[in-house]
Parts: sequence; C-alpha cells; structure tokens
Amino acid sequence: MLDGNRGPLPAIAERASVMADLFEPLFWYITAWTTAGFLLVCALLTWCCVAYRRKPGRISTPRILGSHRLELFWTVTPLLVFLTFYAWGVYVYDYAVHPPADAPEVYVIGKQWMWKAQYPNGQRVIIGGNPKNMTEEDRQNIGALVLPLNRPVKVTFISEDVIHDFGVPAFRQKIDVIPGRYVSTWYQPTKLGEFHVFCDQYCGAWHSLMVGKIKVVPAAEFDAFLEGKGGAQGSPNPVDGSLADKGWKHFQRLECQSCHMPNAAIGTGKHPRAPNLEGLFGRDVPIRGGTTIRADEQYLRDSIVNPGKHIVEGWERAMPGNYGTMVSEEDLNALIAYIKWLRPGTQLGPNNNSVAPYGAPRETKAPETNKSPGGKQ
Amino acid sequence: MSASTHGHGTVLKHHFDNLEQQHSAERLGMWFFLVTEVLFFSGMFVAYTVYRNWYPGEFAFASSHLIWWIAAINTGLLITSSLTMTLAIRSAQLGDKAGLIRRLLLTFALGGGFMGFKALEYTTDYHERFVPGEVFRTEYARPLAELTADDARRKYEGRPVLTAQEVKDYQFKGGQEHWSQDLATRNYGKTPGAEGTVSPERVQLFLMFYYIMTGIHGVHIIVGLGCILWLVCEAWRGAIPREAYSKVEVISLYWHLVDMIWLFLMPLLYLIGTRGGH
Amino acid sequence: MSIVIGDTPRTAPPPPEPETPRRSYLNETSGFWSWALTVDHKRIGILYLVSITFFFLVGGIAAGLVRANLLTPNGAILTEDQYNKAFTAHGVVMLFLFLIPSIPAVFGNFLVPLMIGAKDLAFPKLNLASWYVYMIGAAFMVWGLLSGGIDTGWTLYPPYSSRFSHSSVAPGVFGVFITGFSSIMTGLNIMVTVHKMRAPGMTWGRLPLFIWAMYATSFIQLLGTPVVAITLLLLLVERLAGVGIFDPSIGGDPVLYQHLFWFYSHPAVYIMIVPGMGVVSEVLTCFSRKNIFGYKAVAWSSVGIAVVGFLVWAHHMFVAGISYYSALLFSFLTMLVAVPSAIKVFNWVATLYRGSITFQAPMMFTLAFLVLFTVGGVTGMFLATMGTDIHLHDTYFVVAHFHFVMVGGMVLAYLAGIHFWWPKMTGRMYSDFWSKTSATVIFVGFFFTFVPQFVLGYHGMPRRYPNYPEEFQVYNVLSTAGASILGVGYLMPAVYLTLSLFFGPKASANPWSATGLEWQVPSPPTVFNFEYLPITVCGPYEYAIGVDQMGRGLPEPPGAGDDNPAAKVGPTGPIGARPKETEVVG
Repeated sequence: MLDGNRGPLPAIAERASVMADLFEPLFWYITAWTTAGFLLVCALLTWCCVAYRRKPGRISTPRILGSHRLELFWTVTPLLVFLTFYAWGVYVYDYAVHPPADAPEVYVIGKQWMWKAQYPNGQRVIIGGNPKNMTEEDRQNIGALVLPLNRPVKVTFISEDVIHDFGVPAFRQKIDVIPGRYVSTWYQPTKLGEFHVFCDQYCGAWHSLMVGKIKVVPAAEFDAFLEGKGGAQGSPNPVDGSLADKGWKHFQRLECQSCHMPNAAIGTGKHPRAPNLEGLFGRDVPIRGGTTIRADEQYLRDSIVNPGKHIVEGWERAMPGNYGTMVSEEDLNALIAYIKWLRPGTQLGPNNNSVAPYGAPRETKAPETNKSPGGKQ
Repeated sequence: MSASTHGHGTVLKHHFDNLEQQHSAERLGMWFFLVTEVLFFSGMFVAYTVYRNWYPGEFAFASSHLIWWIAAINTGLLITSSLTMTLAIRSAQLGDKAGLIRRLLLTFALGGGFMGFKALEYTTDYHERFVPGEVFRTEYARPLAELTADDARRKYEGRPVLTAQEVKDYQFKGGQEHWSQDLATRNYGKTPGAEGTVSPERVQLFLMFYYIMTGIHGVHIIVGLGCILWLVCEAWRGAIPREAYSKVEVISLYWHLVDMIWLFLMPLLYLIGTRGGH
Repeated sequence: MSIVIGDTPRTAPPPPEPETPRRSYLNETSGFWSWALTVDHKRIGILYLVSITFFFLVGGIAAGLVRANLLTPNGAILTEDQYNKAFTAHGVVMLFLFLIPSIPAVFGNFLVPLMIGAKDLAFPKLNLASWYVYMIGAAFMVWGLLSGGIDTGWTLYPPYSSRFSHSSVAPGVFGVFITGFSSIMTGLNIMVTVHKMRAPGMTWGRLPLFIWAMYATSFIQLLGTPVVAITLLLLLVERLAGVGIFDPSIGGDPVLYQHLFWFYSHPAVYIMIVPGMGVVSEVLTCFSRKNIFGYKAVAWSSVGIAVVGFLVWAHHMFVAGISYYSALLFSFLTMLVAVPSAIKVFNWVATLYRGSITFQAPMMFTLAFLVLFTVGGVTGMFLATMGTDIHLHDTYFVVAHFHFVMVGGMVLAYLAGIHFWWPKMTGRMYSDFWSKTSATVIFVGFFFTFVPQFVLGYHGMPRRYPNYPEEFQVYNVLSTAGASILGVGYLMPAVYLTLSLFFGPKASANPWSATGLEWQVPSPPTVFNFEYLPITVCGPYEYAIGVDQMGRGLPEPPGAGDDNPAAKVGPTGPIGARPKETEVVG
C-alpha cells in the first residue's frame, strides 16, 4: 500500500489481486528448485575445493573422461524440472491474459508522460503522471484509477505516442501500451487500498514520473462512482458542469446547433440539417454502407475533425471539414464531454446560461449506464 | 612485375601451407560471407512479408505503378552478367589474360547498365512524385488542390474524395493514368478504410520497402562493380596467373549472390497483382 | 557406471625448455606503423585488448553515474535527461564495445591459431580491417556520446527512437551498425581458420573446448549480426527520412522492430557468454589437473546453445503484444535452451572431483564464475516462465539477472582468461597475492551490488527509473555501496597487470603447466608462432597422464603455496608420461 513506509520491504510483496495470489506460489516454487540447485552446486564446489586441494607430494589424479549415465541424468532432470515451471507458467499466463467475457471495460490512454482513464459513463480521471506535462485542467483531475473489490474489470489501452507499459506490482500484472493498436488486460482486485502504477517501458525523459495510483473500493462504492455520485477517484468528476460547460460554450461558438438541432426544435417549422446529438453517446449508429458504429469518444472526435469518415445512414455528407482547424485537443475533450452529457431533452437553446452537473436533480430520468461505449475503430 | 616471375612463392600466402588450403579457405570464407548477406536481406524480406500479408490490396496497387519494363531489362542484364563472370573464371583458369580482362569488362558494363537503368527508374519515380513522405502526400492532394484552389486550409486527412466529374475533368498527359489519379479513382465515393479502398499511408509503406530494398541491392551492385574493377587492375598488372584464379572465383560468388537476390526481389516488388498503369 | 575409456597415447620425453628468444611478436618490429598496419593476429589481439579496456572504463564510469544517482529516491546527482543518457551509454558501450568483442577479439584472435597449430588466422588483413571497423564504429558512438548522448536505452525501441527522441540517435545507431561488421569479420575469420587450418593430428575431437566455444560463438556472430544490421539501418532511415517501416501512422508496426531486434540480441547474449564458457573449460582443467568431464557433452552443448539460441527471441516480448500461442512456443523453447548451460555447469563441477586443485587467480575467477553464472542462469528461469515474467519483466529482477550472467559470468571469465594467458601474451607474471585479492574483492562487491536488485525487482521497481518510491531506497543504497567495492576491484588488475609489464618476473613458456599447443611456444610467442609444425597426438586435457597435446611431458605445475609460478623453469617433474589406467567413476 502506498504509505511511504521506508522500512524493510516485506518478504512477500503485497498481494492485491487474484493474479497476485496465483503468482506467488509459482514464484516460490521456482525459487525453491533454483535455490536447491544453486546450493547443490555451491556445496559440491566447496567440497571439491576443500577435499581435493593440492596436497604436498606427487600429484596424481585419475583419468576420468565422463559418464554417459550421469550426462543423461543431468540432462533429463533439469529438463523435467523446467517443464514443470513451463506448465504452471502457462496456467498462470492463461489466466492473466484472458479476461472474462462480461467484465466491464475501462479505457486507459498512455501518453508522454501521464495516464488518462475513461470510464464507460464518461468519467475521466488522470491516473497519474508528470504534472509539468499536464494542462491546468488535467492537473486538477489527477486522481486514481478506481476499481471494484472482488469484481473483474477489463482495461483496454492505447498509446498516443510511444510505447509505454502499465505495470501494477501489487496485481503482478503489466502490459505494453502500443501506439496504433488496442491491447487489453484485466484485474480482479482482492484488497482495498491504494497501489502503485508504474510505466514499465522506457518512454523518454519523464518515464520515471509516469506513475499513478489504483484505488480499490468496495463494489457498491464503485457502482455509485460509475453513476456519477461521489468522487471515489479523488478528483473533480469531469463529467459535471465544469468540462461539459466549457464544451457547451464551444458548441455555441461553432454554432453547431444551427444544424444539430435539439429535439425540442423539431415541429417548430425548422428542419434539422444534421442528426440529433441528444442521447447519442453510447448508442449504435447506422452508417451509410450498411455497417453500425458505437458512438464512443473516437467516433465523436472523428465526426468533428474528419466528418467524411462516417456518414450516418439517411443523411448527406454535408458537414464542413474544417472544424478540425478551429478546435484544439482541449476543446475537443470539452465538446465530447458536453455531447456525452446530452440526454434527450437537455440540449439547450442559446438563451440558457449554464449546464447542470451530471446527475443533478434536473435530470428527468436515470442516465443510461452503457456497458462498453467504446468500439475499436 | 610480369607474370613470368610469379610462381608459388608470391601467390601462396605465408600463413598457408599450400595453395590448395589457401584456395579452399578463400572459398569457404566467401561462402560464409554470402550467408551473412542472405541474413542481411532476410530481415527486410521478413518485414516485407508481414506487411504484404496485412495489406495485400495496397501492395498490389503500388506494385502496379512501378516501371516494370525497366525491371525486366535489368533482370536480363544481371543474368547475362553472371554468365560473363563465370566465363571470366574460365579465362583465369586457362591463364588467358586478355580474355579474362575482356570478360570482366563485359560484366562491368552489364552491371553498369543495370545501375544506369536503375538511375533512370529512380529519377522517373521521383518526377512522378512516387516517393513516400511529404512529396507523396502533396501529390495525392494535388487533384483536389487544383479543383478547389480557394480552400487552402483543407488538410490532407480531412478532405473529401473526388466526385466523378472531378475525376473526368482531371486529365494527365498522354491519357495514361497517373498513380495519384488511380488512387483517387479507387477511393472515390467510399469512406476511408472501407472495402476496396486503397489507403495512401500503406502505399507509402510499400514504397519504403521498394526504395530501401532496391537501394541496398544497388549498393551491393556498386560494391561488386568496384571489386570487378579491382580484378581488372590485378589482371592487367599480371597478378592473376593460373594459380591465382580463385580471386576471380571468389568475387564471382559474390556477384552471383547479388544476382540471385535480385531474382527474389524483382517478382516480390514488381509482379504483385495485375498491371494497370505504366 | 560406464565411462568412456580413451587410448593412452604413446609419448616422447619432454623437450628441453625452449630458450626465450630475444625477438618475439612484441619486439620483432617496432614503431607506430608496425602496429598500425600489423597483420599479426597476436598484435591485433593486443590492439583489441587496449581498446576494449578503454571502453570498459567508459562504460564503467557511466555505470558509476547511474548507481550514484540512485542513492536517493529523486536523483542524487543527475537530471532525468542526464540519467537516461547515462544508462543508455552504459548499455551501448558495455555491450557493443566491450562484451561482444571481448573474448572473441582478444583471446580468439590471439589464441585460435596457436591452439590449433596455425601460423595465423585465415585472413590476416581482414583481421586488421575488423579492428579498424570496430574503431570507426566506436568513433561514431563516441561522437554520439559527446554530442549530447543518446537517451533511448540500448534497445532503441521506436517510435521513441525514431520520432520522439531529440538526442544523438543517428551517430550512435550508425556506430553500432558499423561495429556489427567488425563482429562478422572476426567470426568469419575464426570459422574458416578452424575449418581449414588445423595442424596435422588436430582433429575436431581433439580441439580444446575454447576452440569449440569460439566456433559456436562465430556461428552466432555470422548469422545473427546481419539481422540487427538491417534493423538498425531501417531504424536510421525511419529517423532521418521521417517515414518508416515501424511507424504506426502509416500502418507500420513498432512490435516488428522488437522481433527483428531481439532476433539478434538474444543470440548476442550467447556471443557474450559462450566464449567465457570456453575459458572456464581451459582454466578448470589446468588448475585441477584433470581431464574435462564429458568432453563431447561440453563441446556439443556450445553448439546446442548457438542453434537453439536463435529460436527463443520473443521471450523478451511476452508482454509486448505477441499472440498467446507465440508466447507458449517461445517459453517452451527457452526451457530447452537452458538445458545445455546446466549440463556444462555439472560437467565442470564433476571435473573438479578427485582433482588436485590450486587457487591462483585464474582459478579463483573461474570458481567465482561458476557460482555467479549459476545464479544468473537459474534466475533466468523466472523470466522464461510466462506466468512470472509478467510481473518481473522490465523490473530490476531482469537487470540483476543479466548482470549476474554478463558480469558475474562473462566479465569474470574474461578476467580469468586475462590472468591465465597474461604470461603467454606478455611474457611477464603478475603478483599472485594481489590477483587473488582482486578476485575476492570483485566477487564480494558483485554480490552486494546485484543481490539487492533481485529484491527490488520482485517488489516491482521498474528499470530505467531515476525516481523511485521511498521504500526502495535501502536496497538501492546497498547496491550502490557494492558497486563502489566492485569498482575498486576492477581497478586493481589494471594496476598490478600494468606494473607486471615493467616489474614482473619473466614468465616461462608454460608457467601453469598446461597442455594446450599455445603453451608449447615461448612466452611471448614469435611472430610465426611455431618454429616447427606441431603434430597433435592426443586430446586437449591429458593432465592425469601428464602429457601435452604433442605427447610430450609436462613441467611441474605451480604448487599451492607458490607465489611465483614463473620460477618454475624447465621440466622438473617426472620424465615422460605417467601412464595409468583410466579409472572407473564410482
């Protein structure tokens, strides 16, 4: 646990997941055999060096060339022992890399030099990193990756730049995080508390500051966190008024609502020129050409900066392609947060001045909890 | 130093016991070196195989726009040069200095011809902007830039694809389809990444392989040409008597390997898929 | 128990001690150009010796900076950027400029022709060229270091090394690329020499195990190095041209780089260790006065390591994004490659059985090798096993493992070789006391440096981290303390070996009373090695019978209390061979 303890490290490192409980017996099994082998070699060496040290007088040594039987013995025996390591190792590895099918999914993005997590319902948390590389916004959002006790969670990673590695010693898990490709692993935590996250693949100047925290909380607290109630992650929940509010302001500046009209405007004589965005996030969108895409953050981002990429079924390709030049990454994050927030009936006209936080009483119905809002493009 | 003063004394090197051992060692040494060359190229072949497996469409597209007739001529040149090189060994074994020099020079000429055509090929590719990087991207954007010249801010990734009219309007010299027109046509009306589209990024990947593989092969040809020139000089000053023929043999082994690598390289790069353009 | 019975060779009486001629390869010709343009394999070996010693110092200073910085949890003496450059410099210099050339280029060049009875290597000019190529490559790397350093780690993974690093990647990578050719040239030369230039009677079955080890190493150098050459070239093109093959933004795959890189770099570690194993076989037999136990097993295990070593590279990539089934396969193959090394260790221990052992410096270094290499080897099993590798990958556990095999193994074997063949190469003997002391200091310092790192790795401390959680500080301080002892231990041979050149007693031809052909020529040897054609009549380790490989008797070996083995001039032992039955092992 992260308590800054400077005393001697425990003999068995802290175990906080099922994987850790699988790791330890295998590790000590290998330790036992290898220590035995090493001690045997040392003992034999010591004995030979003592018993057969040069004695005064005429030197006489026997002419021993070898022994087929011994060779066979000490070829086959180590091989068999190694194969037991192999077999047990396969069993543990198989567990570690195959998440259960129904585990909820969290997205983690690694970039120089920080970790960002995105939960299914849109919560965004900075797991940790070098504060000097972060925007002011991000710095205020530094928290912990929240995980539920005794429940499996699948985590999918991608890198924005170079190869990183998300390593959690207390879980005995790590995985390289690669640009251009999603990779996944999973955890089932078994202990409450906070645990180290390290970047375990050298990634540049601040590699050693690309560290963070995982916080394991009781399952009920985790569910509440997913619904937006309570700040289990230890930072302001970005899907609340602050970021979404900013997004709304961008929405107005760019006059998105001139095409993307709210439902409330339909039937007033105005014809929408673009699909309605309320309740879009997390839904499956039919795309021209017959496919369907889940409307996740990637989809929203693409639709803003590269609108020709996916044309919604039944609509023309009409959205101008230059919005990408009018928004920065931060603005995009804010816009996406706003669009995520949009539930049916909540899109505001130009006269409203503020956006209520996510989960505020203004909601007319409970928000959808989407299982896995992100599709892999 | 004339040939008549040569004998076992100067051909045989001091650390060898006899000529046979020396020749045998030289040959073995060259064979081992050829093994390293095979492994050097095999790294590229492995990488090429991986990507060709992943992106068959893009590789076929890019391959169809390479200048195949130059590759065909070059193959002929190289194979013939291997023949003349082998004949040169025979001349050396017979002690026929004039024949040796003639055949070596012929090999040099054929190899030089190969490099000449290669230079022509590269410059043509460069003039057509069929080079990965910014050059490629700019060239691919050209059809659109010419049609929508007022929209200077349009970024490469963000622009829409050509309409049918735009394709018809844009004519190239001689009516032959330039690669960027071909690429735009194939991608017309389709969302990027959909079935049948050709990703321009992955075409650049093929081009990287094309230039690197043929480029490194070309460097090996140049080194071989240098070695042949050295042999010519040695033969000229009489340092290749009958007993020293192994010098020619050893260089010819290298030359044959470079030829053989080309025989693998050429189909893999130039002969994928059906031919369209040039 | 059945054992192998060999023939007792017919022998001749021992010859008189050859007069040490005034002219040896060292002073036959003099002057700068006689060294700069030498084609004598022995002089080239000395050129390499001087160069790699220099680069060992450079790499060692980098290591000192790294360890000193780790004294405190937040970087004691360096900024993060400087630290990154320091550990990269340490890795690149130690691996490419010291470890890979060390035994092959120094002892391989010097001893291979002597051990097989040849006058030189097959291609002497190629040999000289290999040294110049090595120096040119080293110059590029030094340029990289001096122009700000490289900060990518010695593994140079893209996209960081190709697109993101602002350091002097290009000269450094180009330098590594060039030194690779030096490695190929040396390997090629040794392989052809062993195939074609063995003296009469020196059959494959009578080759010293050092030669078998050098042959296996050369095989790896020949086949593996070209692959890393092309990989680095592709990386350079990617970095300099801005478009590349590993670039994800154009559909390339950074993991492909890792496959290509490790395809060489795993066999590379065998290039580093197998020659050391060859040295161990030579020293152990000589200082226990016994035949090697299981000659064929030890010889073939070198070949086995070389071959199977090419099949295991992706065990460096279990968490890098390879498929599940690839991981299964590579872990299994890694289990197989561990077996030959185990066989060697057991054969070496069995060689000591019923021997007559003395503990001069070469033997002390060799015994230390046996202990430390065993630790290094068995800790590799944790990394070969997939389930444990996930946690231990890229932590200090890996760092400790490879330092145990490379430093505790290879560097100690190199030092053993230096101490064993120093009298042969230089004609001088060094201080027995100081050499034994340095072996002890190095062994102790090594232990303290690297054992704490296993603990750190198990607890998850990542490698390449100048900033670490406070709870890891105690072990880091312990490790740094050990490193300072280790540093002192390394300086000692530099001092006493250099002093021996000027003040050491002159060594006889065969001060250790060893059986190899290299000991039958004067110390130091003449330019053409053998004044007469050596005819080999028996195997390489006939200590029990007391004959050398040419069937002549051996001088009295240096005793346990001998401070100056060089004093043993001339054969004072029994005249001729001591024939005896080959005993049954109980």
